[in-house]
Amino acid sequence: MNSFVSRFASTGHDVELRKAREAFGDEDESLEMWGSQAGFGPLSKGVPSFSVPAVPDPSAFLRLHTDDHADPSCRIKIKHGTTTLAFRFRGGVIVAVDSRATAGSYIASGTVKKVIEINPYLLGTMAGGAADCQYWETYLGIQCRLHELRNRERISVSAASKYLSNLVYSYKGMGLSMGTMICGWDKTGPAVFYVDSDGTRLKGDVFSVGSGSTFAYGVLDQGYHWDLTDEEAQELGRRSIYAAGHRDAYSGNTINLYHVKEDGWKFIGNYDVSEMHYEGPAGVGYGYEIRTAGKSSANPPPEPESQTAQT
Amino acid sequence: MSIMEYNGGSVIAMVGKNCVAIASDLRLGVQSLGIASNFQKIFPVTDRIFVGLPGLATDVTTLHEQFRYRVNMYTIKEEREIEPETFAALVSSTLYERRFGPYFIEPVIAGMQRTPSGSYKPFIAATDLIGCLNFAKDFVVAGTASDKLFGVAEGLWEEDLGPEDLFETISQTMLNAVDRDTNSGWGVVVHLLTKDKVITRTLKGRMD
Amino acid sequence: MDISFALTGKGYVIVAADTTAAHSIIKVKLDEDKIKTLSPHLLMAYTGEPGDTVQFAEYIERNIRLYQIRNIYALRPPSAASWIRRSLADSLRSRKPYSVNLLLGGYDTSTHTPHLYWIDYLGTLASVPFAAHGYGSYFALSLLDRYHDPEASLEEGLATLRRCIDEVSKRLIVSPGKYKVKVVDKDGVRELDF
Repeated sequence: MNSFVSRFASTGHDVELRKAREAFGDEDESLEMWGSQAGFGPLSKGVPSFSVPAVPDPSAFLRLHTDDHADPSCRIKIKHGTTTLAFRFRGGVIVAVDSRATAGSYIASGTVKKVIEINPYLLGTMAGGAADCQYWETYLGIQCRLHELRNRERISVSAASKYLSNLVYSYKGMGLSMGTMICGWDKTGPAVFYVDSDGTRLKGDVFSVGSGSTFAYGVLDQGYHWDLTDEEAQELGRRSIYAAGHRDAYSGNTINLYHVKEDGWKFIGNYDVSEMHYEGPAGVGYGYEIRTAGKSSANPPPEPESQTAQT
Repeated sequence: MSIMEYNGGSVIAMVGKNCVAIASDLRLGVQSLGIASNFQKIFPVTDRIFVGLPGLATDVTTLHEQFRYRVNMYTIKEEREIEPETFAALVSSTLYERRFGPYFIEPVIAGMQRTPSGSYKPFIAATDLIGCLNFAKDFVVAGTASDKLFGVAEGLWEEDLGPEDLFETISQTMLNAVDRDTNSGWGVVVHLLTKDKVITRTLKGRMD
Repeated sequence: MDISFALTGKGYVIVAADTTAAHSIIKVKLDEDKIKTLSPHLLMAYTGEPGDTVQFAEYIERNIRLYQIRNIYALRPPSAASWIRRSLADSLRSRKPYSVNLLLGGYDTSTHTPHLYWIDYLGTLASVPFAAHGYGSYFALSLLDRYHDPEASLEEGLATLRRCIDEVSKRLIVSPGKYKVKVVDKDGVRELDF
């Protein structure tokens, strides 16, 4: 009786399902239909596939509507502006990022998570297209787990970054925009790889990516050496992102700091850039005006009294 | 990027009960790069008038010097101080002189206007970059964060705010608006005018 | 592509500018002095459009000198900065504007205070404790926020300048090789070996 009623009913759960089946042209009741694979549905058959605009040149079409460097009045604003950094040292890897997202001159968010926790041993940073980084680094996490299950050992940072690099390279020219650092600790020790959507993949000790990267480099390079203690290294990462947050209009709000050691990554903390300016992490502000308060370049000649004291 | 947004910076003026307030940020930038956090955009004209000049930084200085010169000439010729309303007209015509090659500034004027009875009433005005005057009863805004300032001010401003409340309102409006703008910020300065005194305070703002 | 830095310290201003003169991909000259001595206590580093730079700098130099001849005393740094700024601002709205960026460092002998002004080709003037023009500013300003000390001795100031130059050499693709460094203090202007 119930099944008879539901077959001819025009509302209710079963009807929705039936309509969905018709719409998808899919008789099998699959999970993708309900989006329960968190957007990774297109990957469930193994090969990633995306629908593309039905125009002769899809990537040119996309660029026309999204590239606000070439055309500031373009319809779709992709969020830009970032400072991210990662560096390798004796005690592991420090990863530090800001948290600002801007659309034009508007600060759309000050609480963006730009470090993507791929798995307990791997971190990825986010610069460029937020969605591109989030999606593909999460996807990388899936592949890293599969590697673990297949090979009974953790994937190396090198292999993981190569996987991502090859993947984004296969989309070259389609408008992906990513500048990321894949950081972790494997059999070889601490490792940092820079991977971007051009297909560049670089192994290195110190990297910074984003509109504020030059400012971060300015502080980072001057304070960096291999034998930094854990505390010194964390301070350097934090101070460098602060520097970029201060000088670069498109970076700022808060700093997220991570430290990767042999036993995996650890979240060190979230620090407000303005609090760092005025108070710093331990009561001494990073800000130039705060640091040099009361100091003066004026050089008046010594008072007559002190001259007599000398004689 | 528009010339008006090249250096960044914003100004707002608000009317209160027997008082006015004007506030600006202190940033001087070159697009995304911050250069200085001590760049004043508001200048005293007389003891009872302030003018805020957000826009292209070179014109901030040039126009400040131009207004200072013209107000001094007025004072000498008329043997009295200029009134806010008159100064607004001076600003407007100075800008319109450059109709076909404008100064990239949108001035904001705040002052206490002397009435025929000898008392003072609050006065605010703003113009566009070629001198179209806009007299407002509540508040006026200009600069890169003007749209954000409008939003916050619409929400916070009330009629007949006393000096303390007006100070709080304009401070919060400015601080919160520039926190959503990339090209304004790096500290805020507020001037509060009543009939007999001026209070100037520099506020701690976000420095990113 | 030219780069200039300047920083104040206890009783002095250091002004540094690279010494390369480039045409397209060629370095035409390697020891060009891009810092002019405008008066006994005033230095000006100039960078920008080739041709404009020297023309404008010489115009400024001669007129500051003329003022000194007429009035016995040279303009003090704030007044000189104001006049130079106005020259650029007026030029901006002329038929052929000068594209010149300046760093003006001076020592005011009557107040015993060093002054540093950042001036760009638009006529934007900012009084700052340290400054840079060109791509160098994107690396040096954050570095100076961290290391600059307004009460530093000349040796410490030069060590900080060395950091800036090293950083630019390390990170900038087209970094210049040599810099000319001059300092102005109570004793006047002098060039330093660097």
